[in-house]
Amino acid sequence: MNAAAVSAAPRVRGVTAAFDEMLGRPVSMRALALLRALAGPAVLLHLQPFLSDAWDGRIYSDAFYEPYAGWYPEAPRTLYVGLLLLAAVAAVAMSVGLLTRLATATTFLIVAYNLFLSTTHFHNNRAYLVVVLGLLAVAPCGRELSLDAWIRRRRGRPALDLSAPAWPLWLLRFECTAIYAASGLSKLVDPDWFGGTVTWQRVVQSRDQLHAWHLPDWAVSVLTNRSFHTGAAKLIVITELFIAVGLWRRATRYAAVWVGVVFHVAIGVSASVQVFSYLGIAALAIWAVPSARDRVLRIDPTAPRQRRLGAVVRGLDWLARFRVEPASSGSRLEVVDRDGTTICGASAVALALSRLPLTAWFALPALLLPAVRRGRREQTTVSGAANTPSDP
Amino acid sequence: MTSRVRIVGRRVVVVAVVVLQVGLVARGYSSDQKQFAFQMFPESSTWRADVVRVTVDGRRVPIERQWSGYRWDELVRSRGLTYPSIRHHADAGLANQLAFLDAALDWVADNTPRDRQTRYLEAKVTSWHNADPPRVEVLRSHPREGAG
Repeated sequence: MNAAAVSAAPRVRGVTAAFDEMLGRPVSMRALALLRALAGPAVLLHLQPFLSDAWDGRIYSDAFYEPYAGWYPEAPRTLYVGLLLLAAVAAVAMSVGLLTRLATATTFLIVAYNLFLSTTHFHNNRAYLVVVLGLLAVAPCGRELSLDAWIRRRRGRPALDLSAPAWPLWLLRFECTAIYAASGLSKLVDPDWFGGTVTWQRVVQSRDQLHAWHLPDWAVSVLTNRSFHTGAAKLIVITELFIAVGLWRRATRYAAVWVGVVFHVAIGVSASVQVFSYLGIAALAIWAVPSARDRVLRIDPTAPRQRRLGAVVRGLDWLARFRVEPASSGSRLEVVDRDGTTICGASAVALALSRLPLTAWFALPALLLPAVRRGRREQTTVSGAANTPSDP
Repeated sequence: MTSRVRIVGRRVVVVAVVVLQVGLVARGYSSDQKQFAFQMFPESSTWRADVVRVTVDGRRVPIERQWSGYRWDELVRSRGLTYPSIRHHADAGLANQLAFLDAALDWVADNTPRDRQTRYLEAKVTSWHNADPPRVEVLRSHPREGAG
């Protein structure tokens, strides 16, 4: 062994140890629990055409299909239909968190089995669904937001640890961004795409649909204008790549999530993408910082407005961002952020709503308002708290 | 205390998934089938095809006509192949679409046992790759055994 190799060995060991620490670090599984609950409806939507065909007495092998490999086992008709039904039942159990690990693994195995039965079954949204289900199946994400947890509490048994090794979460984050990156990159390197030809032609081909949407003439004229697509195509590519990169950076994560929601809604409205938009938006939950109840919302229970906000936060805080605590009568509403900063009044309301999955998209832009930003800065100065950037 | 096996196993799984995913994305640039390559809405290409059965006596019968109790639109119900004579968008790209059409011709040839007349199926495909001029090509199923 030469000298360079000898000196490199400890460095490699250090990198490996850091990598192992990152994968094994216990983190909150709350975001994965929420995604698990939201994935059930996606599975049902995905299975619907297969079940509908089965109801009419047809299965995939009654018409053109193409196996990936001759050795891949094909279940007899009755068993195949039974598996589809079992997947639907398992998806419901997965969503409500009943026998969660078993239900999630069953859902994953059957959905994956069905996907790989034929090349004709493949669609990108189904691939993403399989990826999500596979990683949910290996993560212990049934210890909260689940009937399992409720039953455990009812039986008086101690709650299970809500944190677990982070590696399924990191892998899911990687897969999530790989989709945007792969899609954006493929468009970036294709001159027809990046130049606007593809989007322009697609819109022109769908001109009838534009009229069916009762768009005003000027809008149809703009959307079918070739020059418009020279810019629009670049915007789409930049958007996809921004989401892919922006989700990883703390400073841009909220913006990437916000843009991601718009992006998925736009795709869902304008194209037939099955469960992709729903799943894409649901999966954005995994970008929440994997720690729970590390912000405090203090409300005066005697003030109706504050009490209402407290109820909203308790009901909609699906990612367990807040502890809601009572404050003394006459106190202003305040949020103590993760970094110790105390924020009061309208700024606190905006911050609280920006951290709830259902209201975040609407509330996040409010954080950019000068008054809200000023409110946070002033409170930071007053409290003298560490002025580190807040994690999402 | 986490066992060494678990730590190494975790590492192997994560690295394997990342490498596999990157590999599948790369494969998408060279393969007609782009599983897990996540190339969304790749082309505006369109295509149409006149698909016929070529019988043992040389007749060329459009598949829009029923034969031996078979109907194309019942045999081929997915991937936008049900009505090939109508111009369609190739939603996963032209190469992918034509690969499916080619496979469908073979599948129909293999799965119509009552048909004793057809030697093979043939599709005369006109395709428009994005804004390129149209291109015409002919796809054929493999010859059917037992015809005639």
